[in-house]
Amino acid sequence: MLGMKAVTVVTTAALLLAACGANDDGAAEGAQLTVSAAASLTAAFSDIGEAFEAANPGVTVTFNFGPSDGLATQINEGAMVDVFASASPTWMDAVANDGPGVTGRTDFAQNELAIIVPSDNPAAIESLDDLMADGVQLVLAAEGVPAGDYAREVFANARIAGAALENVVSNEEDVKAVITKVLTGDADAGIGYITDVTPALAGQLTLVAIPDEVNVTATYPIAAVTGSQEAELATRFVDFVLGDGQPTLAAYGFLPAP
Amino acid sequence: MAALGVAFIALPFAGLVIRTPWSRVVQILTSDTALTALRLSLVVATIAAAVSFLLGFPLAWTLARGSFRGKTLVRAFVVLPLVMPPVVAGVGLLAAFGRRSGIVGVWLYEWFGIQITFTTTAAVLAATFVSFPLAVLALEAGLRGLDERLEDAASTLGATRWYVLRRVTLPLLGPQIAAALVLSWARALGEFGATITFAGNLRGRTQTLPLAVFEQLQTDPDAAFAVSMLLIAIAFTVILGLRGRFLR
Repeated sequence: MLGMKAVTVVTTAALLLAACGANDDGAAEGAQLTVSAAASLTAAFSDIGEAFEAANPGVTVTFNFGPSDGLATQINEGAMVDVFASASPTWMDAVANDGPGVTGRTDFAQNELAIIVPSDNPAAIESLDDLMADGVQLVLAAEGVPAGDYAREVFANARIAGAALENVVSNEEDVKAVITKVLTGDADAGIGYITDVTPALAGQLTLVAIPDEVNVTATYPIAAVTGSQEAELATRFVDFVLGDGQPTLAAYGFLPAP
Repeated sequence: MAALGVAFIALPFAGLVIRTPWSRVVQILTSDTALTALRLSLVVATIAAAVSFLLGFPLAWTLARGSFRGKTLVRAFVVLPLVMPPVVAGVGLLAAFGRRSGIVGVWLYEWFGIQITFTTTAAVLAATFVSFPLAVLALEAGLRGLDERLEDAASTLGATRWYVLRRVTLPLLGPQIAAALVLSWARALGEFGATITFAGNLRGRTQTLPLAVFEQLQTDPDAAFAVSMLLIAIAFTVILGLRGRFLR
C-alpha cells in the first residue's frame, strides 16, 4: 500500500503538498481546501471558489481539475482531497465503494452533450449524421472519461456509432483537451458539453445541438471525501455549491439538478 | 545523504514492482492494446532515431569542426528541446505543423491537403524533436575526440572526402554513433507530452506505450503498472547496453 502514493500521477504530489499546508493550522483561519472537480467544471468552479474564499476569509481553495475517472483514481490511490465533484455518478460510486468513501453526496447540476466545431466549421457539420462523412476529423474524450462515455452513448442512441467512431482521430484525456483540439482547428469537430463554449470561447467555437431524443443528460454529484482533514469546511463548500453557487453554474449553462 | 539519494530514486521503482500485478503481466502485455502500442512505439522510436542521426550528423560535424559566428547560440538552440517541457514542444509543433495555426502546416494543408496532426507522422515528429539533441550531442562529442590526423593521412594518400568519411571517419566513430542512436531511440520511446499535445491519442496510429500507460492509469491501473514495467525493462536494457561508455 505504501508504494501506491509513489506512483500516482504527478498532480498527487501537488495535492499532498497542499494537504500538508492544511495541517499547519487546524482553525478555519489559513485553512486550505482541496477540491477535485471534473474538467467541464473548470470555469464555473473557479468562480465559485473565489466567491467561497470571499465568504470565508482566510480559507484557500485549491482546485484539481481533470477527467472524473482520473480524479477518482487519484483519490482511491490516497490523494488528500477534501471535496470531489464528478461529471458522472459512476466515478462518485467508485470513490464511495472502492475508495475512502464520501459523505453528503448530492447531485448539484446537469449538463448536455453537444457537437463543438470551429466557428468557420470547415467540415460543414450541421448534425450528428454529418459526423459520418468521409474524412471528418473527429475528436472525443477517451473511454472511461465521462464526456467520452456519454459521446459514445449518443452515437449508439443515434445509430451512427459504426461510421462516426471510424472518424475518431484522437481519444483525449479529458473534455478540455477535446475543446483544445477543436480550438486549434486541427479537429473538424469534437463532442463536449453545451457548457464548454464559454463566453470567452464563443467567438472561436460553435455549438451544433444534438436532438433531445438521442442526447444524454450528464448528472454531476458532489460530496465531501471521507477522512478529509477539513471535514467541516468540505461540507460548507458542498453546501455553498448547492446554494450560492447555483446562479454561477446557471450562468455557465449548467442545468439545475433534478 | 548518499543513501537518501538512492532511496529517493529507488522508491518509485519499488512501488512499481510491488504494485505490478505479476500474475496478470503476461495477459496484459499480450493484450491487443499493449501489443499495438508496443509495435507503434518501436516503429516511431526507430524512425525518430534514424532521422535524428541523419539530420544530426551534418550538424554535429559543423559544430565540432566548423568555426562560425553564433556557434554557441546554435548549440544552445539545438539543446533546447532537451530542457524545455515536452508539452511546450508539442505546442511548438502545433504552431509549426498544425493545419490551421501552423506556419508550415497551413501551407501543407491548403496546397497539398496534407494534415500532419493526428497521424503517425506527427508522433514521429514529436519523438524526433525531443531526441534530436541527444544525437547531436553524442555525435559532436565523438567528432571532437577524433584524431583528425588519421583523416588527413587518408586524404594525402589520395582518398576522396566521401571515401575518407566512409572508410575512416564513420568506422572510428562507431561507438559514438551507436550511443547517439541508442540514446535518441530511448528518449523517443519515452516521449509523452509533445505526442499527446501534437499527435493526439489513437490506438494503432498515435498511441505509443507511454500514452497507453497514461490512458490505462485512468481506467485499468493494473495494466498501467504492467506496461510501465515493460518500459522500465527496455530502459534498463538500454543502460546495460551503454555500460562501459557512460557508466564505469
